[in-house]
Amino acid sequence: MNVLFPRNMPQLVKALGEPGARILAGGTDLLVRLRAQPDAKLATLVSLDRVAALRGVALEKPGTVLRIGAASTHAELLAHPLVRARLPMLAQALATLGSPPIRNMGTLGGNICTASPAGDTLPPLLVLGAELELASASGTRSLPLADFLLGPGRTALQPGEALTAVRVPLPEPSARQHFEKVGRRDALAVAVVSLAALVRTGGKGAITSASLAWGAVAPGIWRCPEAEAALVGRKLTLSALNSAARIASSRVQPISDVRASADYRRSVTGNLLLRLAAL
Amino acid sequence: MSPKSRVSAAQRPCPQPSVRADALSKATGAERYALDLAPADCLFAGAFRPGAPSGSSPGIAHGRVRGLDTAAALAEPGVLRVLTAADVPGTNLQGIVHKDQPVLCGEVIRHAGDPVALVLAVSAEALRRGLAALRADIEPLPGVFDPAAALKKGAPLVHAQGHAAPKGGNLLLRAVIEKGDARKALRDAPVVVRGEFSTPAQEHAFLETQCGFAQVLPDGVLDMTVSTQAPFRDRFEIGHALGLDPFRIRVRAPYLGGGFGGKDGATVQCLLALAALKAEGRPVRMAWDREESILAGYKRHAVRLRCELGADSDGTLLAYSCRALYDTGAYAHLGGEVMELGMEHAAGPYRVPHTFVEGRCVYTNNPVAGAFRGFGVAQMSPAFEGLMDALAARLGMDPQALRRKNALRTGDTNSSGVTLTSSAHLAECLDALEAHPLWAGREAWREAAPPFIRRGVGVAAVFNGMGYGRGLPDMAIAKLELTGEGDFLVYSAVADMGQGNAAAFATLAAQELNQQPGAVRLLQPDTERCHPSGSSSAGRTTYTFGNALLKACAAMRDKLLSRAALFLLADDIAALELVPGAVRHKATDRMLPLAVLGRALERDDRVCVAEFLMPVAQDPPDTGRGFVIGFPHLFFAYAAHLARIEVDELTGRVRVCDYVCATDGGRVLDRSCFDQQAQGGAAQGIGFALTEDFSTRQGLILTGDLSTCLMPTALDLPDILSLAVEGDEPTGPRGLKGVGEVGLNGPAPALASALEDATGVRLRDFPLAPERVLAALKQRQGRARRKA
Repeated sequence: MNVLFPRNMPQLVKALGEPGARILAGGTDLLVRLRAQPDAKLATLVSLDRVAALRGVALEKPGTVLRIGAASTHAELLAHPLVRARLPMLAQALATLGSPPIRNMGTLGGNICTASPAGDTLPPLLVLGAELELASASGTRSLPLADFLLGPGRTALQPGEALTAVRVPLPEPSARQHFEKVGRRDALAVAVVSLAALVRTGGKGAITSASLAWGAVAPGIWRCPEAEAALVGRKLTLSALNSAARIASSRVQPISDVRASADYRRSVTGNLLLRLAAL
Repeated sequence: MSPKSRVSAAQRPCPQPSVRADALSKATGAERYALDLAPADCLFAGAFRPGAPSGSSPGIAHGRVRGLDTAAALAEPGVLRVLTAADVPGTNLQGIVHKDQPVLCGEVIRHAGDPVALVLAVSAEALRRGLAALRADIEPLPGVFDPAAALKKGAPLVHAQGHAAPKGGNLLLRAVIEKGDARKALRDAPVVVRGEFSTPAQEHAFLETQCGFAQVLPDGVLDMTVSTQAPFRDRFEIGHALGLDPFRIRVRAPYLGGGFGGKDGATVQCLLALAALKAEGRPVRMAWDREESILAGYKRHAVRLRCELGADSDGTLLAYSCRALYDTGAYAHLGGEVMELGMEHAAGPYRVPHTFVEGRCVYTNNPVAGAFRGFGVAQMSPAFEGLMDALAARLGMDPQALRRKNALRTGDTNSSGVTLTSSAHLAECLDALEAHPLWAGREAWREAAPPFIRRGVGVAAVFNGMGYGRGLPDMAIAKLELTGEGDFLVYSAVADMGQGNAAAFATLAAQELNQQPGAVRLLQPDTERCHPSGSSSAGRTTYTFGNALLKACAAMRDKLLSRAALFLLADDIAALELVPGAVRHKATDRMLPLAVLGRALERDDRVCVAEFLMPVAQDPPDTGRGFVIGFPHLFFAYAAHLARIEVDELTGRVRVCDYVCATDGGRVLDRSCFDQQAQGGAAQGIGFALTEDFSTRQGLILTGDLSTCLMPTALDLPDILSLAVEGDEPTGPRGLKGVGEVGLNGPAPALASALEDATGVRLRDFPLAPERVLAALKQRQGRARRKA
């Protein structure tokens, strides 16, 4: 197996031009997949490990956007004070992702590019309105995460292109952020259903906007504008959440697999909204 | 002394803390497991299992082998041999009691993990390529995947041909335990509760997968080092299958990285021996990867039960009936024996005058079931404890009072008709739980549940038989040597799979010989250097070998004192004593160092050997019919488990918040080993009851790796508190009984009871998966709404 270790962006872009080159970020998904491939030895992997520009967290646009280097590990982000203080729902998602060794190796960019419907960071990043920064030999471009994710395992990443950073707009501190993942156990568990919710309320507690995204209940991260709309204008009460939950449960069309049945996922898709009443 | 007065309080200070003899080597990674000892120039052997799902095939659980194309594999550089059934000398049949499992299948595969070829290669990479290049032509045959369906007329036969074909179609064994007249007693009983229960298969998932290495030495001896629970029996199983002289096979069993029953019986042994026979004297290694381990390894039997419990209106138990169906998968392995032990425990650790237990153990094309900690009993405990809770509810009695009232005690006759001359302190285990703050404070804790969370508390009483039972002598032979350097070497002849028996042997010997712990060293089992001592299983390991070892130690002490008498000019042996490192003349304080004795004595004179045979039930009752071996048992460990759980109304997930085990394992020799057994058993039982859910469809495993077969992690388990209820088993070494298995039997019934306490719903099918719990909550809400 050929593994390249570029040290800066120009070297990275050049390495990605190698025939059949594949990006190796933390390797927690890629190496598992390669293990099942008999021709894995022929692969050329481009490691992001030594490209310093792909790591780190910085405030941008006078304090309204957090720019996260795509090769930052989950553990680094989980320990970062700005992530913890301003993006608690992302921190909650990161805390449930894999296990300590996986969080030490896996990266935010890797979780995005794997594009699993059960990817733990995807629902929070979607409701937060994350934008991706992509680089290739022909320059850089920017794309909303929602447009980047095309389907299970499929993204808008072009050959020769790398995800370099994730820009996350910071919600105002008064906005409610919530993330919950339901797995079959409390570590090393693939999500059966997950929910990220960003809810803003106005003067008398009436909801002004609600952004909801579910993981593992559809081929991609699932949104339900009808359930969001049902919350707007109401207070965050059990009765309002029950209405939204009924809408979500009736509209979602999950599948059955070894982890759970479609019926279970449908019930829990709605049920998880009720937790917002207990926050 | 009455049994009661021999019991001390559960909270009494534990014996002096000790560090296990193997703790340091394991914690530092210095321990050498089977494969660590393999020579560097080993060849690599691997099995070709064409029924396994792959990129090109969804998998086949039952099929006829029409052809095998080996040309491409043999053309791969580094591939030396491709062996098939035609290359197997001997009977080509493995099995501990029933010989029905081919080493390599020639005509039929009976489950998806059956091997049809064995590849021998110079490297791991060449082996991988050789296996990938093999092509088998398998014609799918109709399979049978449900034990009830397998018993129907016209069901496809798992063993349709050959001399191993059973007479009863797919029925491996039907057996009955009948005491009194249960039918009449149930008809006449003032109160009867009944229910159907089911438990799934379970994967052992030991850290160290099945592995070993082997070599035919120049003198023709087959020398093997294997991760095995039964090195002495392995020789006979290999010899039978491959037509070899078992006494020309040497098996060594270093520490195992886990076994739990899954390495009791042939895993790699016969394949590895076959490879070595064809390797022209070169050493060969074999190690299954995790997927192969799950695909081809043995499982806990999935079981279905239909049970009835009858009682008097004051809660005195009158009768129990149970019909059990054990799915043994494609081969017998220990299916009949596993079912036997389960049946003996069917009615629970209670006095029941009338019992009727019928078991049927059935072949299917599912993965092979075999021995697993809690050997058939873990499948029974959810039923007998479920019905005890139901009975308590029906009578309006406190469930723990009901259990205590009926709990077996020394002198009672158990449900198989055996009079218990052995120690039995279940009632004291229940007392220990009731005295615990987690029980006493349960009401307040339950009331303080946060929104959307329901809390519940459950208790279960369990037991587990010890030893092989009647018909199979449960014997061990201990060998002890005073070395030339003056320390002691214990020839441990029962494998240590992690449970700590080797450390216990060192402790027993050091205490008995009055030596510092460091003065006793251990040799791990080796059929050439140790004496046959049975398998590491059945909660018998420390009991049986420990007793033999104590006898060997006593003989050694007598010998050393008499030999020292000459040196110390003592004409009365009673004037001498063993002290650390020396023999001492008490009156004069003169010492003879053991190092001097070690040099003075011939080696033959420095060795003591002694054996012990586990007592069996005298005048065994004629209540059992159909059993080959193993009925009945005389000794039992008992335990009561307490679980406090939270149930999430929104997701159906169960979180175990607190867990306490009170265990009667006789006297405690080493408190840390005792606690580790209780905690490990409970943890594995929690996985069985809650998360693991080993599943198949059409015989194909759905949970074939550790991302889908979900063992509980550290985050899924609470700290498990272990209380010791110290009785005294008079026949045990220093009063102890085996406690390796009983801990696994508690969690399923304790968690189901806690779940009922939390939600009002009793689940009788395991695991208690979120899906089942949520559906039950919904159903109950629906009922409540209709009532309102």
